[in-house]
Amino acid sequence: MSYIKIIVIFIALLLCNHLFAQKRVRYDLYVRDTVVNYSGKDRMAYSVNGQIPMPELHFTEGDTAEVHIHNELNTETSIHWHGLILSNEQDGVPYLTTAPIKAHNTHIYQFPLVQNGTYWYHSHTGLQEQIGMYGAFIIHKREQQLLPEYTMILSDWTDMKPFEVHRRLHSANDWSAIKKAKIQRGAAQSYADAIREGSLGVKFVNEWKRMLAMDVSDVYYDKFLTNGKVEVAAPQFKAGEKVRLRIINGSASTYFWLNYAGGKITVVASDGIDVEPVEVDRMIIAVSEIYDVIVTIPAENTAFEFTATSEDRIRSTSLWLGKGVKQLASPLKPLKYFEGMKMMNGMMKMSGNLDDMGMNMSLQQMDMNVVMYPEITGEKADRKKSDKTQSSKENQYNSNALSDIVTLNYAMLKSPVKTTLPQAPTKLLHFVLTGNMNRYVWSLDNKTVSETDKIMIKKGENVRIVLYNNSMMRHPMHLHGHFFRIVNGQGEYAPLKNVLDIMPMETDTIEFAATESGDWFFHCHILYHMMSGMGRIFSYENSPPNPQLPHPEKSIRKLYKDDREFHFMFQNDFASNGNDGEMMYMNTRYNLQAEWRLGYHDMHGYEIETHFGRYIGKMQYLFPYIGFDYRYRKMGIDEVEENIFGQKNTKDIRRALCIGVQYTLPFLIMADARFDSDGKVRLQFMREDIPISKRLRMHLMGNSDLEYMAGLKYVLGKSIALSAHYDSDMGFGGGFTFTY
Amino acid sequence: MKSYLKLLIGSTCILFQTACNGKINNAKTVTVSINGNCEMCKETIEKAANKKNMAELVWNIDTKIAQLTYDSIKTNRDEILKRVAYAGYDNELFLAPDDAYSKLPSCCKYERTGKTKPVESAIVKSEVVSGVKKDSVVQVVKSNQLQSLFNAYFELKNALVKTNSDSAAVKAKLFSNLVANIDMTTLESKEHVVWMKVYKSLTTSAESIGKSKDVEAQRVIFMALSKDMYDLIKVAKLDKPVYYQHCPMYNDGKGANWLSLENAVKNPYYGSQMLNCGKTVEVIK
Repeated sequence: MSYIKIIVIFIALLLCNHLFAQKRVRYDLYVRDTVVNYSGKDRMAYSVNGQIPMPELHFTEGDTAEVHIHNELNTETSIHWHGLILSNEQDGVPYLTTAPIKAHNTHIYQFPLVQNGTYWYHSHTGLQEQIGMYGAFIIHKREQQLLPEYTMILSDWTDMKPFEVHRRLHSANDWSAIKKAKIQRGAAQSYADAIREGSLGVKFVNEWKRMLAMDVSDVYYDKFLTNGKVEVAAPQFKAGEKVRLRIINGSASTYFWLNYAGGKITVVASDGIDVEPVEVDRMIIAVSEIYDVIVTIPAENTAFEFTATSEDRIRSTSLWLGKGVKQLASPLKPLKYFEGMKMMNGMMKMSGNLDDMGMNMSLQQMDMNVVMYPEITGEKADRKKSDKTQSSKENQYNSNALSDIVTLNYAMLKSPVKTTLPQAPTKLLHFVLTGNMNRYVWSLDNKTVSETDKIMIKKGENVRIVLYNNSMMRHPMHLHGHFFRIVNGQGEYAPLKNVLDIMPMETDTIEFAATESGDWFFHCHILYHMMSGMGRIFSYENSPPNPQLPHPEKSIRKLYKDDREFHFMFQNDFASNGNDGEMMYMNTRYNLQAEWRLGYHDMHGYEIETHFGRYIGKMQYLFPYIGFDYRYRKMGIDEVEENIFGQKNTKDIRRALCIGVQYTLPFLIMADARFDSDGKVRLQFMREDIPISKRLRMHLMGNSDLEYMAGLKYVLGKSIALSAHYDSDMGFGGGFTFTY
Repeated sequence: MKSYLKLLIGSTCILFQTACNGKINNAKTVTVSINGNCEMCKETIEKAANKKNMAELVWNIDTKIAQLTYDSIKTNRDEILKRVAYAGYDNELFLAPDDAYSKLPSCCKYERTGKTKPVESAIVKSEVVSGVKKDSVVQVVKSNQLQSLFNAYFELKNALVKTNSDSAAVKAKLFSNLVANIDMTTLESKEHVVWMKVYKSLTTSAESIGKSKDVEAQRVIFMALSKDMYDLIKVAKLDKPVYYQHCPMYNDGKGANWLSLENAVKNPYYGSQMLNCGKTVEVIK
């Protein structure tokens, strides 16, 4: 009898073992259109298996993942496995590594799991990730884990359609700032705000240097979510227990500050890979980044708040750990925007390049933004005091030196094992991260993905990349299918990551061993930056053909289409004295513009100018164009118009071709010089949208035809404003402006 | 006479309340308990809670109970009580963030009855994370004598980082008590040798820091104490790496060292004046 028992147990054990070692884990994911309501308005979104975020997938290292994606949308989709080491055709970048999943089709992903840790998966098609297509992908270690755990996937939600968000970013629409200012006074950074803060001079210099309001983040979000909710409770954890939180930033474009009301946060892994435990008071998690942390529930009958606050500090989302009365974490105070503006003024050269003033900045150690953080650099009142006590210029921006709050930075991450690369020839690459906030162009070395060739690398070599961020925003740079070492002063124990957050003016070095084959995307993970072309493709020489993409030449053009996309913008002022309007159809480099002034009778006339041109240079201040003008106007008998150059015009109907050039002058004044087929010369200066107060905008224009215009606009909604202006041709007028 | 006055006040209060209530639509009234002490608390609590046409709260000093009326469509109890907690006042739903409480004027520092004391296991566990084990296990009592001494040292160092001479004096006294109570017979031989060398100077250093009220004088002595502790820690068994750090400027540019549990530099010789001056010169494991 006992023999049989032993045999049975033995067989069971064997089976178990076998199962653990080589289990095939299958998930079926159904992608559907759905309607959600996060803020009182019904909106379209994507759900998977009926939920947002997508289901949390669990595996054990050594398993083979088999995931069936059933696309029930009327549009194509894709799934990328963020941070996973897998063969190129499983990576899930449509048209680059994997076939897109067409509408009402099913795609099967299959790959062995050769690593463990916290990862995530998301759509890599268009802007789908913004509205629901993100989920956690957990690979457990083979050995039993001792700590209870909880996964938090953070995300951002906007009631505006992602397509609209993207389009408006490209037309420098400031509705987002107005929405933020509704919650936090001063966030619009208008002249009125500047006067109130006693920083009028700072605002002047800022505009002189051709900068728009400081955007800590570009997009206004209505809600921030943890696992799809603003607040989540995890009452299952007991006092005294330590909990491993797996935190994934699955947002489209939001950095989060993480704080815990129950004490210190111990960071134990980053981007899925273990690091030496390091204890901090708070940390920032970049878009797409992952951290595993351990926190303790310190007391009974209390739920402790773990908060994720957006970097612009407009809103937050919370997890309550434990059961009972809720212990709040201290909220982050509003940013001191004008301090930030002052700092940017100091750093920004007139050329649009940034000057780090001899500080070698890297690895998130010097955070220029600390000047805006009240908890580090003090409230406004004691500004002068803190200036005096500042230890040295060197530490002016080092938040860990300025206060006793310990903030995580990359220099503190250390691998528990050696991560040195194999001995091999090294390919050295330099990239400068470039951007232009005004036109929302984001690139590397001022070239978008579609404007460059793939970067060829050889299997077996080491690739070392030196990145310098010369743009005004931070960028989470993500490499597909590889882990890179961040060269951070930890020598042989440099940490392994696949996302590097690089702040303005920082220089960071990363390196990886080229061990794969195929094409791998390296891009900024801020969704709207990626779609604007901020990235590169690493391509292995002599890679075998990819069965997923039978016509690689043809498919890559589909990928390039993303950053070649044209954006449309339209504005018309319906005023009592006529219609004034403009229209733009533009992409990274080209712009087709039309401007019109349509009176209500012949005396006022009808006038339309069209231009087509190309932006030159990194900052895109220069815009040469060719154009066509049409004008009809009934003038009085023998009436002659004369410009300041003494050139005369008597025609009622005028058709003319022109060539000209626009140049953005300091103070964001648009200078426009042109020469037309009638031999006429015109010089014009114009400044639009001067932010007087939160909602009040002013524009001014004057030209050498002695035409001038001054107007005010009061923004009522995202597309409607009240407006009033005086025009030298048409006189006073009032009405409303419609903006698309 | 007095009772008339009371009545008058009472009725105006009611009048006032109803006048305000009149403006709140979809009104819902609940009673909530909020901790607090004095008139000033009352003012702060009500100011934090009240919002025109949305919420009206009247707090009673004696009972610590408040009447809360709010527009049940526009807001809810959680939202209002959260605002009260952010202003520093624990209530039945939320406990105030610690820094909000500590910013209250001293007369308002009510007793935080809502806060539960940290559980014992949490202390032990969290200290395991920070690398310092409490003597909860009998086996390791031996090495823990020194461990608690190191702990006392780190606390003293932290007091100096904060430039707090009173706290430094208290920590130093604690330290010298521990020095006096070390049972040499249980030390390992290597530890014993070093201990014999340093214990006298440790005692005198700690005692003089304990007596002093001048933080600069304390720092000068701390320099010598740190040197002794370094010798000791080199031979002791540790649960977690300790960082030996160096400030090149102190002691007229001759430099001075100290030990720390964190790699991030927090300078005990200058405090906030030059908090980050220095670097780690050795990691002791």
